[in-house]
This record gives sequence, C-alpha cells and structure tokens, in this order.
Amino acid sequence: MKTYYRSLLGCVAGVTLLAASTGIASAEYMAEHRGGTLRVVAHSAGGTIDPHINYTLQYWEVYQTIYDGLLKFKQAAGADGFTVVPDLAEAIPTPENGGKTLTFKLRKGIKFSDGREVGVKDVVASFQRIFKVSSPTSGTFYAGIVGADKCLKDPKTCTLEGGVVGDEAKGTVTINLVAGDAEIFQKLALPHAVILPADAPAADAGSNPVIGTGPYKITAYDPNKQMKLERNTNFKVWSEDAQPDGYPDVVDYDFSLTDEAQATAIENGEADWMFDQVPTDRLAEVGTKFKDTVHVTPLTAWWYAPMNTNIPPFDNVKARQAVAYALDRNAMVKLFGGPSLAGPVCQVLPPGFPGHEDYCPYTAGGGPKYNGPDMDKAKALMAESGMKGQKVTLITEDTDASKSLGTYIQSVMNDLGFETGVKPISTNLQFTYIQNTKNNVQMSLTQWYQDYPAASDFLYILFGCESFHKDSDSSVNIAGFCDKEINDKMHKALELGVTDQAAANKLWAEIDRAVTDKSPAVALFTPKHIDFTSKRLGNFKFNSQFYFLITQAWVK
Amino acid sequence: MLLPVLKRLGDMVVAMFGISVLVFLIFFAIPGAEPASRIAGRNASPETVAAVRLSFGLDQPLPVQYLIMMKKLFITQDLTSFVNRGYKVIPAVMNAAPITLSLVAGAALIWIVFGLLIGVLAAAFKNTWIDRLLMVMSLIGISMPAFWLGAVINLFTQSRWHDYWLFSWVPPLGYKPFVESPKLWALTLVLPCFSLAVGYIGIYGRVLRANIVEAMQEDYIRTARAKGVSESRILIRHALRTSLISVVTLFGLDFGQLVGGVAVLTEIVFALQGVGKITFDGLLNLDLPVIMAAVLYSALFVVICNALVDMLYILIDPRERTDG
Repeated sequence: MKTYYRSLLGCVAGVTLLAASTGIASAEYMAEHRGGTLRVVAHSAGGTIDPHINYTLQYWEVYQTIYDGLLKFKQAAGADGFTVVPDLAEAIPTPENGGKTLTFKLRKGIKFSDGREVGVKDVVASFQRIFKVSSPTSGTFYAGIVGADKCLKDPKTCTLEGGVVGDEAKGTVTINLVAGDAEIFQKLALPHAVILPADAPAADAGSNPVIGTGPYKITAYDPNKQMKLERNTNFKVWSEDAQPDGYPDVVDYDFSLTDEAQATAIENGEADWMFDQVPTDRLAEVGTKFKDTVHVTPLTAWWYAPMNTNIPPFDNVKARQAVAYALDRNAMVKLFGGPSLAGPVCQVLPPGFPGHEDYCPYTAGGGPKYNGPDMDKAKALMAESGMKGQKVTLITEDTDASKSLGTYIQSVMNDLGFETGVKPISTNLQFTYIQNTKNNVQMSLTQWYQDYPAASDFLYILFGCESFHKDSDSSVNIAGFCDKEINDKMHKALELGVTDQAAANKLWAEIDRAVTDKSPAVALFTPKHIDFTSKRLGNFKFNSQFYFLITQAWVK
Repeated sequence: MLLPVLKRLGDMVVAMFGISVLVFLIFFAIPGAEPASRIAGRNASPETVAAVRLSFGLDQPLPVQYLIMMKKLFITQDLTSFVNRGYKVIPAVMNAAPITLSLVAGAALIWIVFGLLIGVLAAAFKNTWIDRLLMVMSLIGISMPAFWLGAVINLFTQSRWHDYWLFSWVPPLGYKPFVESPKLWALTLVLPCFSLAVGYIGIYGRVLRANIVEAMQEDYIRTARAKGVSESRILIRHALRTSLISVVTLFGLDFGQLVGGVAVLTEIVFALQGVGKITFDGLLNLDLPVIMAAVLYSALFVVICNALVDMLYILIDPRERTDG
C-alpha cells in the first residue's frame, strides 16, 4: 500500500513538474511571439457582425477569439477541436430529469470588454435575444428549450419562461428542454449561443460590434473595408482550452481583394492569411514556390446531388441508384481541381465524422472504398426503372467548378438515357431556390458543411422527414426524402445519444448505410481546404470545427 | 434660365422614379430573390423565415414595400442592407463616391490631356507616318479592355517584378484616403487611373482627329487662311474649338457613367471599394437596398453630367449663346 502511495505521489509530483515546466515554456513562447499586427484578407465581408445572427464560417472563425458561451469547442488543432469544453460555465453539467434539465454554474470574475462582470442576467438575456433577433437557428437548434415555441411565434416578447432560469444567489443558470437532446452541448458551444451583455440591442447589431468576453474586441467594422480587432484589456485567461490568449496585438481583416490579389499579397508579405481559397490557376505556383506555407486539410463536408424523391423520374429508387452507379467520382474530383482539393466519397457521413464507417455500394466491384463507376449495372437499373427518355433539369451554381461538374453529370445522365438540361443559378440564390419545394427541382448540385460534429447534422437535417416542408421556401431536405422506418431509427439514435453516444454513433452508421442504399442523393466528394499563409506567420493551427485559429498564429 | 433648370429637375425626378420602379420590379421577378429565406439562413425553420419576413416588412404588398423603401432612402435616410443587417446603404454609397470620383477624375485628366494631344498631332500631321503611328496606337488602346490591362499591370507590379526598382514604388492594392496620406492616395491611384484611361485616350484621340480634319475643310477656316492667320492658330483657336463640341458631349456621358459605377471592373481589379464595386457586390448578394441606392446614385450622376455638358456647350459654341 505504501509503495502504491509513494509511486502515486511520485507520479503527481512528476505531472506537476511537467505541467509547471510546460506552463513556463508556454509563457516564454507567448512572451517571445506576443505582439505585432496580423493582416488577413478576404474578397468580401461576411455580413452582419451580430454573433447571434451571422451564419458564416468567415465570422465564426473570428468570433472564437471575441465571444464565449457557456460551453465552447476546444480551441485546439485537428479533431481535438470537436471536443466541447466548459467556457463561461465552470463545468459541463450532468443532464438531469432524463436529459431535460441542465444546470450551469457560472465562473466568477469574467468581464466583458467594457469592464462589467458577466452575470446570470446576461446569460438569461442572451438566450432570449437568440429569439428576439430571429437567429437563423432559433427554430432548429434552440427550439427544444421550454418556451421556445412561444418565442418563435412572437419573438419581440420572448421570455423563455421556464426554459432558461437564472439564480443570482447561486450563480447558476438552468436550461430546461422539452425533451432530452444528445447534441445540446454542441449547440450551446456554437456562436449563436454566445453570451452578450443583457443590454445588447434586441435587434440585429448590423455593423455595430457587440462587446464580448474574449481576448480581442472589434474596434472598427466597415463591411466595405475592414474589421479591426484589438486586445480586450479586461481579459484574463480562465481556460486555455476554451479561450486561450492570442499572440498578435492587432488583427486587421481587410476586405475587397480578389482571390488572385489575396494570393499575391501573401506572396509579397503584405498579408498573412487569405480567407478565400487560392485560385486554381495559382495552385501550381503556390504549391511549388511556397509549399512550406500551404496547409491542406480534408473537411467534414460533402458535395452531393440531391434527387427529388417525390416527382419523376427520381421517385423511382432504381433511377436514383442508376445515377449513383454511373457517376465517376474520380472524374469529378479531377474537375474540382484534383486529389489535392477533394477526395471521392459514396456515403453521406464524411470520413472522420462521428458515425462514419466506410461504405461504398455504388462502385465497380463493391467494397468500402470507391473504385470507379459501374456503367453496366447503372444501365441495367435504368432499364428496369423504365425512366429512359425522361427529361431532367439539373440546377447548379454559376461558379466554374459547379458548372463544369454539372456539364459532366449531364453527359453521364444522357448516356444513361435521360434527357438532361443544366440550369446554373447565381451562387447566392441557388441554395434558396433548390430548398423551395414550390420550385419542384428534380436534381441539383450543392454542398453541406457541418454545423457541429454530429451525424444528425447531415443525416437527420438533410434526410429526416421533419426537415421536409411541403410548399415551403425553407425545406432543407432538398431530396424530399422521407422513409418512415429510417426516420424512426433517426429518432431512436437521437434519444440514445442522450445516454450513450457511442451506441448512438453505431446506429447512425447503420442509418448512413440505409440512406445511402435508398440514394436520395448521390455523394460525390469531400472537399479539402487550403490555407495559404505568409512566411512570417507561425503556429498555424487548423481546428476541425472552426478552421484557422486566427489569433493562435503569431507574426512576431 | 430658371425654367430650363426646373425642366431638367423634372426630367430627373421622372427618370429616377422610372428607374427605381424598374429595379424594384425586376428584383422581385427573379426566381428565389425574395430575401427572407436567404436572410434567415440555410437551415432556418419556417417560423424563423416568417419572423424575418415580418421584421423586414416583406409580408406587405409590393407597392407598400416600394413606398417604405423610398421613404427610407430619401426621407429618413436609414435604408439598411438585407445582407448586412443594420448596415446603412446611404453612408456606404457616400463613402464610396470619393473613391470612384478620384479614380474617374484622375483617369479623365489623363485621357483628356493625351486624347487632345493625339487628336491634334494626328490632325496636324494628317496622312504622315506620325498620324498613322498615333492612330495605330489609339486602336491598340481601344482594343485593350481596362480590366485586362489592369490585371496585366498587377501581374507585373504586384507579383513578378514587385521588388524590382522600377515598380518598388507601387503600393499594395487598395485605396488610401487623401486626408490620411496625400502621397499614398496619389500612388494608389496612378495605375488604376492609367489603365482606365488608356481605352478612352484612343477613342478621344480618334474622334478629335476626325472632327478636326472635317473642320479644316469648312468655309470659316478657308476665310481665316485667306486673312493670313497662321496654320497653328487656325488649328488651335478655330478648328479645335469647334471640334471640341462633340468631344464634350462624349465626355459628359462617359464621365457620368464612370462616376456612376461603370468603372466597376477597374475597381475590382485594383481592390478599390468604389460605387461600382458596391453595386457589383449588391448584385452578387441580390441585396436590393444596396442595388437601389447605387443605381439611383448612378442615374443622378448621369443626369447631372448631362446638364453640365449642356452648359459647357454654351461656353464653347457661340451659336448656342445667340440661340439661347
């Protein structure tokens, strides 16, 4: 027993020493590189600066260093960034009442950038504000909070009575849900649930920054020119995982440079990172001359071609499967820019995502990985479907990549016997157009990027019966797919996740296979992300959830 | 004098009303342009879309929506973007106007000086090698689109030879306000102005040459020669002055259009956030308030420039004075 305690003591001492030395090293590293101005560039601004409303990756990346929620995705490189950690809350609570009650205890001493301390009333008001400003996800991610139904009907008078309850004396906030939600912690870690001061305007802040608690604050924002971040002098680190200090003193986020000009500015050392992707005609140059400062990362996203399962010809499963067998994903990867920019896929869940198990029924010879198209099988299925000669209109975006992929799909489908037309629509309109069920879109080409790392974010949102809204302009289940048996399994997986996420992920893998077999959409490829940074930029970290951790990079 | 001005103002109001109605109707006729579901986001519930529609007044009939927009644009002046909610479009256009104005005024100065020079020289040395050389150069200038020339200039000055002494003075792309640094303001505009002006130098040179050559055949020139006036005086004081009338008309239209946003491609290539770029972004985002403000601003400038041209006629052409 004595020996056990001695070794335990030794271990503790060792860990303490290691932690202390790591801490010292980390402090020295911070002191060495702290300071300077990081200049990042983008083609255009990302819209409203309001964190409860903005729904763009561009600003979600920036918000990481400005705002905090009760919980947060860990600000770490790689898949570690999928981990939810406590942020303004002291700990992740253990769900009570069958997962319906979550009680968060607030950390003390955390201040907004104007010096006021974060309190219970700020948390309660922030949750009400999500509804008052009609946050894009108020009706989906946060609709399960008690009282949300009333708030959705009448946002201005939203109180979330009984849904978000603060206790000033205990310093706690209790969130009551209508039903257990396995993904509630992830939803609470998203920027739409950040905590703002209770007196934040109950309307879209537009281009007037709202203060936050992170190490930086937005000191100027002109969507036509620049966003400027400077240090929040009231910030002190309370959790390295949730909100570490940043390196640069100032971040200048300049807009209006074309992607060509952005790449040139980085090559010349006039900018440190570009938000937009390096133009394909510059990839060879950038990849050879600047290979040390190019970072390629596969994304948890997919390009897919939804087929409307409610109208001909794709109300016939064999017609859908024929297309899935016929399309050559490798050819499409080449059209997209080659293997450095994408990888072929056959199923809904992207590689590396919770619930993903390799599965590829639509390939020559079958198997877990993609081996190329099977045109014979496709033609046989097509003959069986009786859909030869049917007219199909494919809606694509008007980007070069989307149009060329559309033209390829058209040629393959015509080989199968369809009469296919391609209709490119402005990129800003296409998604709205194809998710409007009144437009009766037969087939489209689009992309889906994760909101948070949960299988339901792909499978349930894109193929769940509840995501399909007839005669609606916001029906995100573009294929209109609704299979009662599969949908019941989805509900079961969502419920199971409240108590056993690993078992739920197994069930999601099964659902992934079932949806793939029914082929409401053809999985095409998963894109890769290219970050191009300046020579002087160090400590580049790519977080799987929010991508480039801007202020974790140094320029000094 | 007052009546023509009032008449012009009346024309302007009618033109701008027509344009605003057209822009408004065309916007709502575009499939998928209705902004509520775009504003609400990719995964918004129907309830959220309905709430957005209500908060933006998009549930109102189109004529009411039009009137609300015009009121916000002209009376309360607090019209905000659909995309950047809370972002006021009038200040945005007003902030962009000096950038476009600097670019176009700089370019106009270049093209007027060089256009006149080429036109006069070519006419003076008509049918000689100088004339032919200048006309070929003009044609080359006209044939080069401003955006292409701008991209090539950037390729050399920003990329390939960026650190070479010849181009080391070229600042990074973008705009520096005059009040912040007059020197940088001028430097950032030199190349954009040049690339925008090149095509116009060619056009103005060729037009002016043709006009002067034609004017030199007129009776009053023959009379001047008979009176013993020198050839250079005839060319500059008589032929050039008459020939400038059509050039001024052309200039008024070109300048008005460019200031109104037609310089968009040059603005994009050189990362200048001018009116053209704002209009372009508004169109890309189908952001009706931005499009409306930018288009009406553009229309206003075209009308004002035309009015100024009419006044310039009076100064240049004595016949206009006597007619008036």
